[in-house]
Amino acid sequence: MSTAPTTAPPRWLVVTSFLLAVAGTAVSGYLTLDHYTTLAPLACPENATINCVKVTTSSYSTLHGVPVALLGLLYYLVMLVLCSPWMWRSQVPRLAQVRIAAATLGVAFILYLIWAELFQINAICLWCTSVHLITIVMFGVLVVGQSLSSSRLVTAD
Amino acid sequence: MAKTAAREQRQQRIEAVRAEQAREARRKVMLSVTAVTVVVLVIVALIVVKVVTGGNSTAGSTPAGAASPAVVAGVTTVPAATTNAIGAGTVTNRPVPITAPALTADSKPRILYVGAEYCPFCAGERWAVAVALSRFGTWSNLGATSSSATDIYPNTATLSFHGATYASTYLSFTGYETETNQPQGGSYAPLDTPSAADQAIVDKYDAPPYVSASSAGSIPFVDIGGKFIISGASYDVSILQGLTHEQIAAALKDPNSAVAKAIVGTANVITADICKVTGNTPASVCSMPGVVAAGT
Repeated sequence: MSTAPTTAPPRWLVVTSFLLAVAGTAVSGYLTLDHYTTLAPLACPENATINCVKVTTSSYSTLHGVPVALLGLLYYLVMLVLCSPWMWRSQVPRLAQVRIAAATLGVAFILYLIWAELFQINAICLWCTSVHLITIVMFGVLVVGQSLSSSRLVTAD
Repeated sequence: MAKTAAREQRQQRIEAVRAEQAREARRKVMLSVTAVTVVVLVIVALIVVKVVTGGNSTAGSTPAGAASPAVVAGVTTVPAATTNAIGAGTVTNRPVPITAPALTADSKPRILYVGAEYCPFCAGERWAVAVALSRFGTWSNLGATSSSATDIYPNTATLSFHGATYASTYLSFTGYETETNQPQGGSYAPLDTPSAADQAIVDKYDAPPYVSASSAGSIPFVDIGGKFIISGASYDVSILQGLTHEQIAAALKDPNSAVAKAIVGTANVITADICKVTGNTPASVCSMPGVVAAGT
């Protein structure tokens, strides 16, 4: 009897993680497009706390010269592959651990970005916040979902 | 008997292993739930600390004071030759026509301005609004301030309409600076509160279809007599970076300066639209070649 995920994961886990990866790719793709194409911004939001321009043009919008939005897009492209139904069906060894590691890395990075928004930039970008939420939910779904999957395998033995 | 005992022993061992695996599975589930809870708690803690402490503010903006006589003179006495040489200048965002009831006060067309002192784009637009309106009347108590030290284009030198008064036989003016440039509780200290009627105008016309959905509610917002609106700055505000109030005011005389091309150009465009609501009066302003050129 093994706890390794040798049977298909629950359908909800496959569907939810894939949809979250699609959503994350879409939003981070928009932010990347915005980073490279938007002309000089012209207006301030009426609420000074919510200010995407302030966030996306701050010194925290790049990491060693690479736009954070682009890093987000690349991250979600990887997650899109890792959470695709084909990869969920795959028997590639340690894939579950790779998914969890990637999700943990994503959460760690967004915790850094949330800290930067709240305490260094003093503004919140709603588009960025939506990516943060997706990343946290993705982490929760993968961590809880995969542990429930292994639990289910044990019960089914 | 021996076979039965052996079978029972094997069955017990299987059940023991199963029980151990079930405990291990429960432990994994608990661990995963704990991990998610920790992440959520860290985020909640960050937000609570932010709300309680107001964050690590690095703002160093100067509070508003009175504009110096040199600055007021620079804004209110732009030479006609400069006005005419520049026309629309480097305006990138022109006023948008709207269909709305005429905006008036005291039987005169009214100009409504809504901005905030922290806002860098308002910082740019104020110079042009002040120049344009000075052609139709007289300013008193214009303030001098700068945009937020922590926003884009930090510390952009500008005027403030908070506390300023405007007298004209052609126009009426209402200006609101809704917040200062001084951080307070994660935002900025509140300043002017628009009247319910003026806020309703902002809510209705600083929104689609007059502006893009992503810009709805943005400031600066200017309503010219209920005929035109401006949402956002009319030019690239970055050209003001690093300049003092006096340098900006002095540059308004020079038709070849980037500052004059942007600010006087915007003032000319605004003036041309104001002329459309005043019936092209006064002619001395509305027939200026620079104004006429900016209006086409």
